[in-house]
Amino acid sequence: MRLRPPDNRVSPRAMAQWGLEYLLGWAIATGLAAGAAAWIDASHWSGLPHALVTRVWWVPPLVAALGLVTVVVAPVWRYRVHRWEVSSDVVYTRAGWFNRHWLLVPVSRIQTVDTDQGWVERILGLATIKISTASHEGSSKVAGLTVQVAIRLAADLAGRAHDLRDDAT
Amino acid sequence: MTAAPRPGPRHLHPLTFVVGAVRELMALIGAAAAGLVVGGLTTGVYFTLIGLALSLTHHLVKWFTFTYAVYDDRVELRRALLGRSVKNIPIERIRGVDISATLGHRLLKLAVVRIDAAAGGDGGEEGTLNAVSRQEAERLRRTLLSSARTGPAHPDAVAPDVVYAQARPRWYLYAPLTGAYLLTPFAVAGSVFGTLYNLGDDLGLVTRDRLRHVGDDVLGLPVGLGVAAAVLVLLVTPAISIIAFALFNWNFTLRARDGAVVVERGLVTRRSVSLERRRIRGAELRDNLLERFAGVVRLRALVTGLGDEAHRGQLLPASPRGDARDVAARLLGGIPSPLTAHPPAARTRRVVRAMAPPLAVAVIALLAGQPWIAYACMAVSVLAVPLGLDRYRQLGHASDGARLSVRSGALRRRQSVVEHRAVVGWRLRQTLFQRRLGLATLVVALGAGDGGAPAVDMAETDAIAFAHRITPEWVAPFLERP
Repeated sequence: MRLRPPDNRVSPRAMAQWGLEYLLGWAIATGLAAGAAAWIDASHWSGLPHALVTRVWWVPPLVAALGLVTVVVAPVWRYRVHRWEVSSDVVYTRAGWFNRHWLLVPVSRIQTVDTDQGWVERILGLATIKISTASHEGSSKVAGLTVQVAIRLAADLAGRAHDLRDDAT
Repeated sequence: MTAAPRPGPRHLHPLTFVVGAVRELMALIGAAAAGLVVGGLTTGVYFTLIGLALSLTHHLVKWFTFTYAVYDDRVELRRALLGRSVKNIPIERIRGVDISATLGHRLLKLAVVRIDAAAGGDGGEEGTLNAVSRQEAERLRRTLLSSARTGPAHPDAVAPDVVYAQARPRWYLYAPLTGAYLLTPFAVAGSVFGTLYNLGDDLGLVTRDRLRHVGDDVLGLPVGLGVAAAVLVLLVTPAISIIAFALFNWNFTLRARDGAVVVERGLVTRRSVSLERRRIRGAELRDNLLERFAGVVRLRALVTGLGDEAHRGQLLPASPRGDARDVAARLLGGIPSPLTAHPPAARTRRVVRAMAPPLAVAVIALLAGQPWIAYACMAVSVLAVPLGLDRYRQLGHASDGARLSVRSGALRRRQSVVEHRAVVGWRLRQTLFQRRLGLATLVVALGAGDGGAPAVDMAETDAIAFAHRITPEWVAPFLERP
């Protein structure tokens, strides 16, 4: 028995969003690594073995390279993995890239449906839907939806959750 | 409100303020005595006395202005000191009633009632009645938790108390096996030393010179004395943990009463926690390695919307596995068994995962030119093999048509037994490595406990089949068409 992928892809613009977010995150990480390297280099700190101190300047380029690979690979990979579907009153999502997770949550167990927009998402006209149940393991996020789709989906889910709500939790 | 009040608003027990006042009196007398000793009859003492008078008045006024009332659909807690606050707790949201009594309360036959209710979101809300008479506490518990009012009565709702489990003397000896109680002596010692140090510091006994000498004194002591001290700690620690355990869990009793499950425990402060039976959706059997070897296990209830679940969900402290399983089976109607083992690929993964961290450290140590650390880490990674194998042996899942059960962990093992109707959703997790081995972790999302019970490293197809067997209508629409 295997699960088929959910029907709907997220918006292709999500790739731009993830790329931008990874770029910012890794740029900061590289900056921090460079700062730490400069500090260790200047302070001649004896707490570390000599072999490590002399090679401390290897770290920032390494972080930068890792970041570059992530920025190039991850958004495309995530776009291929991230999918969602609502049918038979069950929300079915697939997310992740390196590690994947599938989530099946019946609409009747949904407590709240939120729509969120970070500043990157606002620039790109995207939104994230947060579907919360009584369990955080059973709560899911669908990122990278266009605003219209997100608003329609959220309203639809909230309405049906209200109709179907059972207090089994 | 349309509902007619049953007994009308009531005050707390008149003796309530005595308990509060006596407690403050003790603190103030202590302070005053210290003041007298240090500085004689100074203004400080007068201030203390004024403080005492004020606090007594405060307690009186508080008692006078606070009333509570139980209506058909809600509990109303009304406070009207300067401002006025009315707290309404809908009865259908009440998940548990918690009765506790400190030594002072017990002498005066009083009890503190805490009403625990699920709020709209995930955080609970609660009301405290501090304090009412014991009979009133019992009456409140029965009224607030009687299931006749809130829905279909449980089969044994009207049956008299049934004792599910009662502590036997042997149970106290299991205390040192449970980590938390083993640590209490150190916590106590820490706070005692801290207090002594502060006191000594205040009295000018602690000087820089003496502090410096402490190190020399300790190091200068003969080795034999050090060994003796270590042995003493080893002997005393379990003893104190048994005492701590007895204080909290003296005469631990678990009984069913009026559609509720009631846990009573405690030596000085007697605490009684009631959980609404129909809100209990499952149970968790937990043990660590020591407890496992001793054949004991701790039992917790999985209750939806219960605040402070770690303490209130406790059904049994470390107790013989057979007893705990009996209790769980009586509460839930059975424990699915035997557990189905996970595929051999899971064994490989458990062993690799147990060995990987020390091996990684070993490699780094080798690169950094620290061969001895590297050898030590390699030895640790060899020791990790049996741990990985044991972790694999503990993995399992089962379902008997109404309940499911999953188990994982080795050093801290956990078996969850959950009613099917408590399942909120399914999460299937797969790392890149799991994917290559055809494995996946299925998390049963629950609105109770930690929010989920993982079935680690099931065969991917088995995981989906398991979810499909329990909730076919949620999974079937998304199965790959053959």
